[in-house]
Amino acid sequence: MLDRIIKQSDFMSVVRELSRQRRLVGPVAREDRYFYEVVDEPSKLDLSFNYCVYGPRAFLFPPTETLFTFDQRDGHFEAKPVLDNQPLAFVGVHPCDINAIRLLDHVFAEDHRDEHYLTRRENTLIVGIDCLKPCTEGVFCADMHGNEAKDGFDVMLYRLHEDNDEVVFGVVFGSKAGREWMLYSRACRTPTAMDEREFEEYQRMKAAAFPRRLKTQFEELPALLDRSYDSLLWEATARRCYSCGSCNLSCPTCYCFNIYDEVDMSLDSGARKREWDGCQLEGFAEVAGEHNFRPKTASRLRHRIYRKAKWILEQTGIPGCVGCARCDRACTAKINSVEIYNQLAEEV
Amino acid sequence: MWVQEARLPTAEPELYIPKPARILRVRKLTEYENLFDVAFCDGRLLDHAPGQFVQVSVLGIGECPISICSSPTRPGTFEMCIRRVGSVTNHIHRLGEGDILGIRGPLGHGFDVDELHGKDILIVAGGLGLAPVRSLIQYIIDERSRFGEFHILYGAREPKELLFKNDLTVWRERQDVNLHVTVDRPDEQWRGKAGVVTTLFKELPSLNPSETAAVVVGPPVMFKFVVLEVLSRRIPQSNVYCSLERRMKCGIGKCGHCQANNVYVCIDGPVFKYGQLKAMREAVE
Ligand SMILES: Cc1cc2nc3c(=O)[nH]c(=O)nc-3n(C[C@H](O)[C@H](O)[C@H](O)COP(=O)(O)OP(=O)(O)OC[C@H]3O[C@@H](n4cnc5c(N)ncnc54)[C@H](O)[C@@H]3O)c2cc1C
Ligand code: SF4
Ligand code: FES
Repeated sequence: MLDRIIKQSDFMSVVRELSRQRRLVGPVAREDRYFYEVVDEPSKLDLSFNYCVYGPRAFLFPPTETLFTFDQRDGHFEAKPVLDNQPLAFVGVHPCDINAIRLLDHVFAEDHRDEHYLTRRENTLIVGIDCLKPCTEGVFCADMHGNEAKDGFDVMLYRLHEDNDEVVFGVVFGSKAGREWMLYSRACRTPTAMDEREFEEYQRMKAAAFPRRLKTQFEELPALLDRSYDSLLWEATARRCYSCGSCNLSCPTCYCFNIYDEVDMSLDSGARKREWDGCQLEGFAEVAGEHNFRPKTASRLRHRIYRKAKWILEQTGIPGCVGCARCDRACTAKINSVEIYNQLAEEV
Repeated sequence: MWVQEARLPTAEPELYIPKPARILRVRKLTEYENLFDVAFCDGRLLDHAPGQFVQVSVLGIGECPISICSSPTRPGTFEMCIRRVGSVTNHIHRLGEGDILGIRGPLGHGFDVDELHGKDILIVAGGLGLAPVRSLIQYIIDERSRFGEFHILYGAREPKELLFKNDLTVWRERQDVNLHVTVDRPDEQWRGKAGVVTTLFKELPSLNPSETAAVVVGPPVMFKFVVLEVLSRRIPQSNVYCSLERRMKCGIGKCGHCQANNVYVCIDGPVFKYGQLKAMREAVE
C-alpha cells in the first residue's frame, strides 16, 4: 500500500528543506560511476543512478573514528568519549543497502550498545529508492531477499511512471519522522485506486525482472555450508585469492574493526581509535608469538563465506549478505560468491 | 515541525573507556611473567567470576586481554599474571607500584561455579594456562567444603617457567588438594616429575567420572591430548570445561577478531564446555 504520491521536482524541494536541517548523503556521479557522498546542494544528487560502488556504511561507521581522547598529564587519567550526533539524511539508497544498515543496526545494538554507531544512526533519516530491475549484471539480491526493503527506512520511493519527462514516485512511510517530513510538502497527494493498481503492476514487473542466480534458497545456505566445511573448493578457490581484502572493503555489511592508539607529540595525550579491518587479511586472527588461528587463505575465504551466508544469519536472524555482489565486482582474482555457492550445491 | 532534535546517545556511553586502576604490588614470577596486584582508583570492586578477563590499557600504547588470576572470594584488589610478549605487555612490565593502568571489565563468560558445586574437580593446566584457572583454584580452596575431591595437574616446559611457585608450595602442603607438577625438560636441580602434562594422569586415583568436572586450560597443542585423557577416564563431555585464547580487540562481541567458527570467544567464552567446542572445528583443530 502506498502512503503518498509525489513528483520528482516536488520531492526535490522537500529534500532542499531537509538539507537545511541535516547533512545530505546520496548518489553522486563521478565520471561513469556513482558514489554515496555528502552533498552541499541537493541538485548534485542523481537519483537515476544504477548502483554506488560502495555501500553507505562509511557514514555510520567511518573507516576510522575516535572512540575517546585521553590525557594523562601529571599522573591524571582522563578519557572522554567522542560522539558524532550531527543530523544526517541518506537520500536515494537502494533496498540492498537499507538491508545492510538493518544488519549493522542489529549488531551494534545487541549485547552491548555501541554508542558511536548508534548515536549517528539515531540521528539519521533514511530515504530509500526502490529498484525495478537489477542495477547491474551479477547481482543476486533477489536470492538473498536483499532487493526489497520491508523496513529500516523512514521513507521509500517507488518510481511509478513519468509524466512530462518527470518521474512520479509512489511513497511509503517507514517511520513517524519520515511521514512528518514528507507531509511538510503540500505537493504530495493521497494515492488513488489507480495509483494502487499501478503499484501492484510495479511489484509484478519487479518480481519478473530479477533473475534467480543461486541454485540454493538462501534459507538453505547454512545447511549447504554445514555440509561443505571440508570441500576442496575452498583450497581450489583460495589459490587465486590475494588476501587483499577488497571484498571486505567493498562489502556493505562488513563491520569488523581494529583498535589502536594515537599519541600527540607530548606523548601524554592522544586518542584511541578504530578502523575498518578485514577477515581476509593475513594477520586478522594472529596473536602474539606468531600463532595464527587462520593461517591459510582457504580458511579465511571459508570464514568470510560462512559469516556472510550462515553464522550472521543464525546469530541475528538477518542475512549477512544482501546479494549486491560488490565483493564479486571488487575482486581482482574474479572470485565469485555465486559461483562458490553453486559449485558447493553441485558437490552434495 | 518535522525536524527532529538531534537525539542524544541512549547507548552505553563508556563502553570502550577503561577505568583507572592503581598497581599496588608487582612480583616477578619468571623471567617473562610478572604478577600485578591492582585496585580501581575509585574503590569500585571488580566483582568477577573465576575465568573472566579484563582489557588492560596503557593509554597511548594500546589494550590487551588478560585473565583475572585471583578469586572473587578475595575481593578488594585483583591480580593479573602478565607475560611480556609484545607492545602492550612489555610496556606494562615497565610499570611499577603506584602506576596507573586502564581496566575494562570484567568481560566474557567465566566458570559457572554453581554448576561445579558438589563435584570432584580435576584441573589440568599447561604453561600460562595456570593463570586463568588460578582464580578458580583459589575459589575452590576458599569454598572448600562445597566441592568434593580436588586434583590439579600442572605442566610447564622448564622448571624456570613454573608460575606461582609460592602457591604451588602452599597447595602441595594442603591435605585437601592433590597437586602434581611436571616439566617437559628438567634441569639438574629439578627433583620433581618429568614429561608432558598428560603423563601426570597416571598419578590420579580412580575417579568417579559422572561426579567429576574437568577443567583444561593451556596452549592449543596441549588441548587435544589432555581432552583425550580426560574422556578416556569416562568423564562426560558436558563436564569438561576449557578456556580459549584468540586475538581480541573490543572484548564485547563487535570487532570480529576473536571469532572461532560461529562463536565470539570474548562474549560466548573464553570458558566453554567441550560439548560446545566439538562443533567448532577451529577450536579443536
Ligand atoms: C581471554 C584471554 C585471556 C588472556 N589472559 C592472559 C593472561 O592472563 N596473561 C597473559 O600474559 N596473557 C594473556 N592473554 C594473552 C594476551 O592477551 C596477549 O599476550 C597480549 O594481547 C599481547 O599483547 P601485546 O600488545 O603485548 O602484543 P602484540 O603482539 O604487540 O599484540 C598487539 C595486539 O594484538 C592483540 N593480541 C596479540 N596477541 C594476542 C593474544 N594472544 N590474545 C588476544 N589478543 C592478542 C592484542 O589486542 C594486542 O594488544 C590472554 C588472551 C586472551 C584472549
Ligand atoms: S577481493 Fe578477491 S583476491 Fe581479494 S581477498 Fe577478497 S576474494 Fe581474495
Ligand atoms: S574481541 Fe572483538 S568480537 Fe571478540
